[in-house]
Amino acid sequence: MYESFVGLEIHIHLLADSKMFCSCKAQYGDEENTNVCPVCLGYPGVLPTANEKALELAYTVAEALNCELSPRTTFERKNYFYPDMPKNYQISQFEHPVGKNGWVEIEVNGEKKKIRIHDVHLEEDAGKMIHAGDVSLIDYNRAGYPLLEIVTEPDLVRGEDAEIYLKNFQRLVRYLGVSDGNMEEGSLRCDANVSINLEGQGLGRKVEIKNLNSSRFVKLALNYEIDRQSLLLDEGKIVSQETRLWNENRDITTVMRSKEQALDYRYFPEPDLPPFCPSDDFLQKVKDRQVELPLYRKDRFIKEYQLTEDQTEFIIDDKAVADYFEQVISLGVPTDMVATWLSGDVQKELNKNNMKLLESPLSPERFAELLKYLDEDRIHGKLAKQTLSAVFDENKSPGDIIAEKGWEQISNADQVQTLIEQVLADNQSVVDAIKSGDDRQRGYLMGQIMKKTNGRINPQIAQKVLSEKLG
Amino acid sequence: MSQFTKKWVENLSTEVGRKRYRLYVESWEKKIGSFLDFRSENSSHNEGKLKGLPFGVKDNIATRGFKVTCGSKMLENLLSPYTATAVEKLIDAGAYVVGKTNLDEFGMGSSTDNSALQQTNNPWDINRVSGGSSGGSAAAVAAGLVPFALGTDTGGSVRQPASFCGVYGLKPTYGTVSRFGLTAYASSLEVIGVLSKDIDLTEQVYNTIKGEDPKDQTSIKPEVPTKTKGPFTIAVLDNISDLDPLVQKAYDKTIVSLEALGHTVVKVQLPTLEYVVPAYYTIATAEASANLARYTGIRYGLQPLYSENPDDLVQKSRSEGFGDEVKLRILLGTYVLRSGFQDQYYHRAQKIRTAIRNDLDRIFKDVDMLMTPTFPTPAFSRDEKSLTQFQQKVADKFTCTANLAGVPALNVPTIVENNLPVGMQFIAPVFEEPRLFEIARSLKDVFPIQDVPGYSEDWS
Repeated sequence: MYESFVGLEIHIHLLADSKMFCSCKAQYGDEENTNVCPVCLGYPGVLPTANEKALELAYTVAEALNCELSPRTTFERKNYFYPDMPKNYQISQFEHPVGKNGWVEIEVNGEKKKIRIHDVHLEEDAGKMIHAGDVSLIDYNRAGYPLLEIVTEPDLVRGEDAEIYLKNFQRLVRYLGVSDGNMEEGSLRCDANVSINLEGQGLGRKVEIKNLNSSRFVKLALNYEIDRQSLLLDEGKIVSQETRLWNENRDITTVMRSKEQALDYRYFPEPDLPPFCPSDDFLQKVKDRQVELPLYRKDRFIKEYQLTEDQTEFIIDDKAVADYFEQVISLGVPTDMVATWLSGDVQKELNKNNMKLLESPLSPERFAELLKYLDEDRIHGKLAKQTLSAVFDENKSPGDIIAEKGWEQISNADQVQTLIEQVLADNQSVVDAIKSGDDRQRGYLMGQIMKKTNGRINPQIAQKVLSEKLG
Repeated sequence: MSQFTKKWVENLSTEVGRKRYRLYVESWEKKIGSFLDFRSENSSHNEGKLKGLPFGVKDNIATRGFKVTCGSKMLENLLSPYTATAVEKLIDAGAYVVGKTNLDEFGMGSSTDNSALQQTNNPWDINRVSGGSSGGSAAAVAAGLVPFALGTDTGGSVRQPASFCGVYGLKPTYGTVSRFGLTAYASSLEVIGVLSKDIDLTEQVYNTIKGEDPKDQTSIKPEVPTKTKGPFTIAVLDNISDLDPLVQKAYDKTIVSLEALGHTVVKVQLPTLEYVVPAYYTIATAEASANLARYTGIRYGLQPLYSENPDDLVQKSRSEGFGDEVKLRILLGTYVLRSGFQDQYYHRAQKIRTAIRNDLDRIFKDVDMLMTPTFPTPAFSRDEKSLTQFQQKVADKFTCTANLAGVPALNVPTIVENNLPVGMQFIAPVFEEPRLFEIARSLKDVFPIQDVPGYSEDWS
């Protein structure tokens, strides 16, 4: 049988406000060629200046991936021709990347697996070609965008691993606040290396698949490629070392270039940029940026809050939501209640209002207040939902809304007793019918009770008292 | 303000003076062709130490409002969208740019004959070259068309033409002058330099343009010099050979004069000297191959009328846009960086570079500066006596040493015989430019700066 080895090279756009080597805005989707200057267009005489914020974010990722951080990181020129790369060399890192020899854990089928990180290095992005009929246009807004490349060792086995790794990685960079990790917008892109060999024989001949732009394609492309290579070996043929592309319309990989056409990057030290040596202050900032990573947070949530896997997945997916959750918990509300409401009704309201949790009128304090009303039986579920809606509509605290509308539940035993006696007296014929065996009429009585109190009566207590009265 | 500078400002302060200046420049330019673009009007009204002084800028240094052709067909029509930091600082100090001077294409050459746009002649003898690559700046300064000019020095490109034209030429410590705006040829070697007939003005201009620049992360704040006053201990090379007789004469005479002036001259060995030229060409062309990769005709520069695809576009624009010397150096640089060849060429050259630096450090432990001829010959002619391109490269060994080591060096004019000036090169440790200015001042009485026949201080 064959063994497969998969390594990923992930590129992420760093959220660094400006480009890697000039002060142009690093923003996606602006009008073509508006975020450009002589530096990022490679005009004669211009020089790059390294963006320290981008360096900070790069070190942050390297630290989170347990890398050895470089005390003196250097830049190199990587020479190759591409029409949308203004200088025709890319300033990248080779000898001393910001970090190397790291690792990260992923969870595959409930089992934790360590994926080694070869290195984390900074570089600049190229522009974007737009082919329109028989002309080609170039948008350089993206040229010079700070790009971080994270290269794994070939520790992944199949497409499914790679997909999980990728999703986990996406969550990680979002947790660290270093990238929005959006694959559709191209701020997270991926190349994959795959090789297979007979079991125990080590790595096989490497095939690189370029420009995979969704985690689903990564899975499909890798599994296709593993199967393709297996078939070749079955037939006694040799896998040729080449670079391939995923054809998403035909669900196959196709040859882009062979080893003979491989590029010679002619790396050499970038003479325009001195080495960067992070100061203690800088490294402290990098430390301060570290957060509990999603996988560990998930484990802790399940253990600490006894939540289900699905609930936890939902909550920890977005760091802001997970932080919010813990804040509400700290205000003394039962965890399962918070989790249920958060993933249910709150999410519905957010969708309805097209809002993010943090920018909604439902602050953690308001949410906790609402759930406490419910927990203490001062309102019942239906009223709680109404109150939640009102918080969104009126931007007021649940307490104010409940008081204003007089929604507080009637749970006082004497009060309930008196109310029910009154209703029973008003509906003597129904009471008689029930007593003679027509149980279906109980619902009608309950309805009358609710109606009389505008739905404010505590339904459980009401049921109990009603049963006692009717025997 | 020196007498020299004062005269310039005074003469240009009247309408009559300005008219005479224009006519003077015109008549010289017909003979020497030092400027690619000349505009006499004063475009700066800033107050400052250099107020009212016109200057020339080598046409590989960006100056907004002017083209930046780099002496190449490739960039013949490129208007510079911004101004280099050094030029900006001079404008801030009250000086103004009157024009862009001719050069060897992209700074590659020792004659300015490699300019694709114009021929520049030596004002001392129009059958001879003005030197290169800052030949336009040197010729303009020697003929009195500007009081000073900026050049760029990658392997001697300021000092060698200064020597050929009989003017001062300063290559500062690497990094003390911002390279922002200097069209890159060999980034780790080159620096913006100053050419002038007046040593005080040379110093003043250097002091104006030096300093750390946030737009150039390799720029540095110069450290305070340690010894600025003579008498100095000056090292000369123990066995120097293959000098043109005139240069040999100037060299010997300078040594005698230095001793007569009270300086101490000691002989030293510089064993790395023989490796300077190969190391220089390996590193310079490697960097050039990357630096010049941006000229594709896609965003700016020469574009073919028709091309089938991007590869075709780039191929045609480079084939038509670059001259032979540029093509040669790009190819050489690409070759030495090829995978599998780096250890044999590029890395070895870097090791030699370190050895050269160490060699100079060793010498500077005992002496204040080193003196060598700037170039083994005076300005060469274009007839059969001319140096071949290869001979020109080999002759760069004295000047390239300073670029590989990053130390400052100054061409000081010495004797002029048969209308042929000869310059000597003084090399100092990093940041010790003031020593160079001092030694130049001390030699001024022995070798007064000579005027080119036809030179006129007030353009009469």
